[in-house]
Amino acid sequence: MKKIRIITIVFAIVFATGTTGIAQDLTGKQIVEKAYNRATGDDQTSDLTMTLVNKSGDQRVRTIKQFTKDLGDIEKSIMFFVSPADIKNTSFMSWTYDSDESDDQWIYLPALKKTKRISSDSKSDYFMGSDFTYDDLGDRKLEDDTHKLLREEIMEGKDCYVVESVSIDEEYMYSKTITWIIKDSFIGYKKEFYDEDEELLKILSIKKIEEISGIFLITNSEMKSVQKNHSTSMVLSNVKVNTNIPASKFTERMMMREM
Amino acid sequence: MKNLKIKGLILVLILTAGQYAMAQNTEISGFARNYTGVLFDNGDFSILQNTLNLDISKSGDKVAFKANPILYTYNADSLDLHFRELYLDLYFANFDLRIGKQQVVWGKADGVFITDIVSPLNLTEFLLPDFDEIRTGVNAVKFDYYKGNSTFGIIWLPNFTPTEMPQANSIWYVKPDFLATPTFDWSKSDVKPSLENSELFVKYSALTSNIDFELMGAYTWDDNSSMHIQKQLDLSSGSPVLTVLNITPEHHRLNIGGGSFSTEIKSAVLRGEGAFYNGKYFQTEDMLATDALVEKDYLHYLVGVDFSIKNVNFSTQFIQETILDYDENMLSEEIENTMTFVARYDLLRETLHLELFSYIGLTNEDALIRPKVTYDIEDSFSILLGSNIFVGDETGRFGRYSNNSMVYAKIKYNF
Repeated sequence: MKKIRIITIVFAIVFATGTTGIAQDLTGKQIVEKAYNRATGDDQTSDLTMTLVNKSGDQRVRTIKQFTKDLGDIEKSIMFFVSPADIKNTSFMSWTYDSDESDDQWIYLPALKKTKRISSDSKSDYFMGSDFTYDDLGDRKLEDDTHKLLREEIMEGKDCYVVESVSIDEEYMYSKTITWIIKDSFIGYKKEFYDEDEELLKILSIKKIEEISGIFLITNSEMKSVQKNHSTSMVLSNVKVNTNIPASKFTERMMMREM
Repeated sequence: MKNLKIKGLILVLILTAGQYAMAQNTEISGFARNYTGVLFDNGDFSILQNTLNLDISKSGDKVAFKANPILYTYNADSLDLHFRELYLDLYFANFDLRIGKQQVVWGKADGVFITDIVSPLNLTEFLLPDFDEIRTGVNAVKFDYYKGNSTFGIIWLPNFTPTEMPQANSIWYVKPDFLATPTFDWSKSDVKPSLENSELFVKYSALTSNIDFELMGAYTWDDNSSMHIQKQLDLSSGSPVLTVLNITPEHHRLNIGGGSFSTEIKSAVLRGEGAFYNGKYFQTEDMLATDALVEKDYLHYLVGVDFSIKNVNFSTQFIQETILDYDENMLSEEIENTMTFVARYDLLRETLHLELFSYIGLTNEDALIRPKVTYDIEDSFSILLGSNIFVGDETGRFGRYSNNSMVYAKIKYNF
């Protein structure tokens, strides 16, 4: 069995609702906070297509159906692998708490017909062989890093804040990250990740942002590993927000019912 | 030959039905696999198997069905075609009903069957098959009632299915040592289907924020038959000589109660499982015992932990079996200790998988060691090279198969 952990694929860099206009004299932390404090809706359903491309141009594609719901002090997510065939109907469920309590995560393996609790640790592991780690895909807390505004810059016609973030954990896998955040919308547009030797490791680029039911969501992004010449694209489709997904969707019963 | 033709016809019907099912938007998936093994001992093939496993299913909001025919071919002339599962699901607001032939999996243990006793085992290849193939589907009505994160389940099995054991000509058959040629009376070996002979299993389970747990009970039959032995001795020469040995295999009722749990501590997952078996029969050398059998209560339990170090995933379990009110004439050990150990490591963006799985018999100092390497040539197409190595005391559960150590390869295509 591959050891796989649930993630919440909502991306850490998303638009903060209704915040436009000029932000005078903002600190790096305030800029990142505005980017983090996004509206994502009370629940969300989407199809995710993840395409891994190696240096030879060979592609491996994974498709996932995912559901998330904010229940106040707990957010629940469940996802089902649709393809490839060898992992079809594998499902994952995660309960994430607003408090410091660790996430609860489970995997259902259809071949074993068994739901197993899995550790929510090891966020530096790569998700399904992609260029995204679990930490990249999850919600990082504002206080996990110190944030410094480096400069302002025009990036591909967009006026951006450039913020450097350094983890307060010295053992963290990235020595630093540098994020380009669009000034008038606080959408994260590009992010560079640096390894322990402060060499550029990989780059996250946002390809598409869509407004769905009043919520701005990143629906196309690409993580390119500069050092390993490998890339992963993440494309969301059939996105629905605030459809009143019942809480009973996030149970073992649903994991085992498969798709 | 006729049997082969009939099975071939059934296969054609299934595939035709599959084509029709696809036209009805029914899902068809499965895998095709070749499995070839060679014994270290003499270079003979330990297994030459081709498999076609089909999953035919259709699911709606209120009803679903699933059919899982599986076809095995062995060597050049042997065909095994059967349904592992064939059932209907009915979905209601707070409960589900599943009716038909189905596999049921309980408990938190890996590769150890303590509370996971609803589906009997197919031991025709010992413990080597994948865990979904080692369990036999059973005819059952399964009722599950849901409340929040809790489930209360009842399973009724109208007819009994025993453990499937290796045939006498199999390399996995362990020939018993008899002091005289036995005569077998099979008249009591079957459990006749009836309401009185049906089996009942109940379970309460919950997934919570701190712990997952299950509590279960069963009124069931021992999947393994007990050997009732009647002997006749000739005393005419002054010393007793065994002249007649009659053996009557018979299944007996078991009452079982147990549970399991799983929780995360720091970055490891701690698991535990245990069950109390009431009314299990054991062989004895006590001359006063009826049919050389005694009825005892029995405990089976384990504790396990899953953890990672530097991207290597480890899992280990300690298992103990204890016979209560033990007497020294019994042939089984009073306490038997076993361990399992698993290490897994994925490379090349999870296309290359290295695994070492071991059963270690601590009491008998024997082991089954199972290294394997799997490479995903592309999505859904993989090749596996592995070995099953039996070592240690030849009276042990694993060491007895020391001549069956083998190397094997599997090629598998999922669709």
